[in-house]
Amino acid sequence: MTKRKMFLRMITASLLRRRSRMLIALLSIAIGATILSGLVTIYYDVPRQMEAQFRNYGANMILVSADDQPLTGENVEAALSLIPAEKVIGATPYRYVNAQMVRSQLSFVAAGTDFDQVKATSPYFVVEGEYPSGVRQVLLGKEVAETIGAKLNSVIEITYKPTAVLSEAGGELNPGATLAGSAEGFNQNLVYVTLTLGDDLTIASLEVDASLQTPEYGGQCAEEFFTSRFLGKALPLTFGEDVDGVSGATITSEAVVNAINNAQVTENATALTGATLSMQVTGILDTGGKEEGYIFMSQEDMAALTGERDRYDVMELSVSAGAEELASYVDQINAMEAGVTPRLVKRITNSETAVLGKLQALVFLVTAVVLVLTMICVSTTMMAVVTERRREIGLRKALGASDGSIRTEFLGEGMFLGLLGGVLGTALGFAFAQVVSVNVFGSSITFQPLLLPVTILVSMVISALSCLLPIRQAVAIDPALVLKGE
Amino acid sequence: MLFRMIKGALFRQRGKMLLIAFTIALGASLATSMINVMLDVGDKVNQELKAYGANIVVKPQDSTLLSDIYDVEDESGAITSAWLREDELGKLKTIFWAFNIVDFAPFSQTEAILPSENTVEVVGTWFNHHLDLPTGESLDAGVASLRSWWELTEGTWIDEQTVDAENTIMVGALVAQRENLHAGDTLTLRGSASQREVTVAGVYDAGGDEDEQIYAPLDLVQALNDTEGKIASIEVSALTTPDNDLARRAAQNPKALSSKDYETWYCTAYVSAVCYQITEVITGSVASAVRQVADSEGAILDKTQLLMILITALSLVGSALGISNLVTASVMERAQEIGLLKAIGARDRSITGVLMTEILITALVGGVVGYFMGFGFAQLIGHSVFGSTIEMKPLVIPVVAALIGLVTMAGSLPAIRMVLRLDPAEVLHGGH
Repeated sequence: MTKRKMFLRMITASLLRRRSRMLIALLSIAIGATILSGLVTIYYDVPRQMEAQFRNYGANMILVSADDQPLTGENVEAALSLIPAEKVIGATPYRYVNAQMVRSQLSFVAAGTDFDQVKATSPYFVVEGEYPSGVRQVLLGKEVAETIGAKLNSVIEITYKPTAVLSEAGGELNPGATLAGSAEGFNQNLVYVTLTLGDDLTIASLEVDASLQTPEYGGQCAEEFFTSRFLGKALPLTFGEDVDGVSGATITSEAVVNAINNAQVTENATALTGATLSMQVTGILDTGGKEEGYIFMSQEDMAALTGERDRYDVMELSVSAGAEELASYVDQINAMEAGVTPRLVKRITNSETAVLGKLQALVFLVTAVVLVLTMICVSTTMMAVVTERRREIGLRKALGASDGSIRTEFLGEGMFLGLLGGVLGTALGFAFAQVVSVNVFGSSITFQPLLLPVTILVSMVISALSCLLPIRQAVAIDPALVLKGE
Repeated sequence: MLFRMIKGALFRQRGKMLLIAFTIALGASLATSMINVMLDVGDKVNQELKAYGANIVVKPQDSTLLSDIYDVEDESGAITSAWLREDELGKLKTIFWAFNIVDFAPFSQTEAILPSENTVEVVGTWFNHHLDLPTGESLDAGVASLRSWWELTEGTWIDEQTVDAENTIMVGALVAQRENLHAGDTLTLRGSASQREVTVAGVYDAGGDEDEQIYAPLDLVQALNDTEGKIASIEVSALTTPDNDLARRAAQNPKALSSKDYETWYCTAYVSAVCYQITEVITGSVASAVRQVADSEGAILDKTQLLMILITALSLVGSALGISNLVTASVMERAQEIGLLKAIGARDRSITGVLMTEILITALVGGVVGYFMGFGFAQLIGHSVFGSTIEMKPLVIPVVAALIGLVTMAGSLPAIRMVLRLDPAEVLHGGH
């Protein structure tokens, strides 16, 4: 029989014969390894999972326009391409305009957005009823609903006055120039005019958009019998002298005259039409914040209301990344100069850095304390098991075994137990981490392959170390004393 | 005789008994520290989450149309005609959950004209306002902790305790850039009722709407638009319990609850209960939860607590198995001694008694030492993570004691039984 064979036989024999004791040692190593692999897996997974939880607070980055260029789908797309897609939890476009309620004449901020993305970037929105899912449906802020007395499923009428376009207009009054203007008519709803000038700077053609006026009365002002009265007249006009109003529609007629008088030269006369939409309230929004004063609608409805497509004011982004990573995205987007300015929502990013840091420190320290205590616990148990075998060591010594061979044998035994316990513990620990992850965060975790060798190595080292001390003691003592039982 | 035997065993086998006591102490300290940290982690994380600012906003009841929902100005002025009373603010600290109110600050906005003729929104608030309560206590309340994310790019926060603090302002980064204002500059603010010469105390970068505003002491804003004693809103930062079903039902209509449910709800720090109690003490007010803060807070608190519970459970199971394992090993090791006792005629019951007493005394010593070690570990975690002490709940002592007791018994009794069943001759002979 070779030496190695004998060595193996001694180890296996001792493990098998002394089943109960070895079971105890194995169990204790397995517990240690389980806690090690379980906690380390959790420790590595928690920051990621917690970060996801912090996205509950909503957008941590916003994109706004730069250098007066409007935010469009194109430049937003370009900016978004710099952030890895799997990091973007939600990207919600918002277009804000001041819109008016037809019935109550109150004006509110209307926001056009993408509701699927809203659910991702603002998970804290509490909606009574449902998010709009089709066209001509709105989500009303609670304050708006209370103010105008709207309930779920009631129908509201919203008007938009595009005053912004006028302020951008301006230019010389030349023959052939196109002018556009608007003025408040009945119920403060706007009347729009578009006119061209003839060679003598008199009105050569006139179109009136009175679609926001009462159709039977003010609506007549858009008809030719009325608009023809203005042809050949020079600006400015005096109502009642240069032109007479339509009977029953005096206010609208006067509004047409006023609109002509404040009309400005424009390149884009068609943008000046307003619209009124009848919309159904599908949900009422409760946030406790300023959103309660807004009216939310889909981008399609917003386009119908304003006549402008593919234009945003703000893009809210919820990015699963820490403050430093976010700052690097901001730099990259800025460097691209795509007409988009990224801004970090400091309230969210700064607070997240602070709180997440604490939570990670907590998990780290707890892991460290538990691990250290458990490892000491494991080694005391191992020590107890080995100490118990002092008699055996004494006997072997008396039979002529060298100190070295005894040490090698016990270490081999300990390390074999460490290996077995490590494998067992890795499996159990992963199972535990999985249970935690599923229960706490509702998502599964991936197995870290590196953890298997690490856990096995640590278990083997710990069990070897805890064998060493009692063996040294036992070996040092006179075999006669040990055998006697002192 | 029993006493002598136990004493003998404890002292003769000092090394072994020390090892057992040490292991039990480790297990007990693990249990103590983990349970204490677990019980306190909710409060601690809750405190940390206050970094996100107020979770409750109080507004006047009659102003469903507040200026903040308009981008447009209110021409009539009728819209903000409803106010809250500044002298009632101290009442916030008299509600049932007063202790949970971490901080609060009143707000009042006005428009003021800068020397450059540009209009700017001036927000009046408290910074570190000293307040004497009707209960005789006093506290400092203010916006500093409600805006923890602000970065001061220049100067300092306003200190209301200093002389002439009512004539200092803090300027938002965008306003400062546009108007070329720096810390230490003086300028005149023209309000609708009066004008004031003010000094810039600091410039802040808030990364939000506040960058377009000027923050000033409440008195200054009230003087500018002649609204002494009136405030437009209050922001309250309160420690709250995550909402559950009951809280959600109560938030709809507290009156609809059964009286027992109502009591449970009222006496739990749900955000809706705290809101309700604030409404009770502040005249003509509506308090509502800021969902962005309150709901997210609830989610994170729940997750953290659950995580800690599971980690605690794992470490408890680990230490329990570790202890019972070692105790089993130590009993089995003494098979020869037990065999000898049996051989000289000791009854099973008395052997069990002697061994159990020995082990339990060791466990007691280990447990007491372990409790204090655990105390140390808990404080280590508390101080290095949260910078504050972890509260040691007295309830933990019996729990840990019971755990250690049960675990040592569970570890030793079956082992003793097993050894007793063995034939003394065989045990003494040394073969198994």
